[in-house]
Amino acid sequence: MPAGWWTRKRHYFLYVVREFTALPLALWLLWLLVEIKRAGDGPARYSPHGSTAFVVFSVIVLLFALYHSVTFLSLTGVIIRVKLFDRPLPSGLISLAMFVLWAVASVVIGFVLIWFGR
Amino acid sequence: MPEKRITIKATRYDPEKDEKPHLQSYEIPFYDESMVVLDALNYIKSDVDGSLSYRWSCRMGICGSCGMMVNGTPKLTCNAFLRDYWPQAIVVEPLNNFPIIRDLVIDMEDFMHKLKSIKPWIIRKQEIPLGAGEHRQTNEQIDDFRQFSQCINCMLCYAACPVYGLNDEFLGPAAIALARRYNLDSRDQGLKQRLPVIGDSEGVWECSFVGECSVVCPKGVDPAKAIQQTKLDTTMRFVLPYGNRE
Repeated sequence: MPAGWWTRKRHYFLYVVREFTALPLALWLLWLLVEIKRAGDGPARYSPHGSTAFVVFSVIVLLFALYHSVTFLSLTGVIIRVKLFDRPLPSGLISLAMFVLWAVASVVIGFVLIWFGR
Repeated sequence: MPEKRITIKATRYDPEKDEKPHLQSYEIPFYDESMVVLDALNYIKSDVDGSLSYRWSCRMGICGSCGMMVNGTPKLTCNAFLRDYWPQAIVVEPLNNFPIIRDLVIDMEDFMHKLKSIKPWIIRKQEIPLGAGEHRQTNEQIDDFRQFSQCINCMLCYAACPVYGLNDEFLGPAAIALARRYNLDSRDQGLKQRLPVIGDSEGVWECSFVGECSVVCPKGVDPAKAIQQTKLDTTMRFVLPYGNRE
């Protein structure tokens, strides 16, 4: 396989982008662990890392996370087989259910973070 | 009106003479809109250069013999119309990811070995005698596996799969789709015999869901779906307390 195999087709390119988005996401999550460790020393000594570079990096990572999540959830309809009354549910319905669950989970987690963070 | 012509650039490789494969151009008449790439190769073989080697058989997308790379995409050459490429030249190469035996002929030994390893036939713990009648199935039971049974072993999915291209130990799309076809068949009881092969690290877990296998399949089979569903099923068998029940 030539090193540039993923540039030969749009489908390959999008696949590599999808896989690549996990890398900066992992770095951001590692940084989050560092922040949690710092916050463990108590609120008096904690100041969040808020440089412009970090905010820009976070926004880019958020876009990557959204892209990764959307492509992942879109594929759930292909993967998950659910039968109702001996007939398989349409894959579109399964994907839609996953997106709804994602939205609900995001709202709940956001609420918990904001409520307890006050 | 001058006769329409088209250029075919075909891979030539004689392992006894050539260090590596190279392209050879042939300009041939394009006299019929229904001509396919396989017709062009047959014209070259019969009228221009009888030494060109390639596989073909049925000419109607059933046997799966004539799969080649057509302008970089795995295709059945009997189903690739010249009109879709003319007036551009068409580059015909052997299927990606396989060793070349000669010209457009690939070595399919690896695929045949993998195909056999998943036991693509109905396995019964105890055979029911013929006199006992048919194994009856409902339409819903057939629908469970019907699309996976359309595979014609053309190996286009292997040529499209970068995972197989990077690691030829990977069991590959068609073999796993066929394993799924039998595992979903209500008459089959061979899941436990196939699990060590499909559940291996070089089985379904090697796949990272590129999905190109399903795009290139000429019969509408969705091997990527078969692989991901098998991942989910094997995980459930492992995780759920009743998962290992027959």
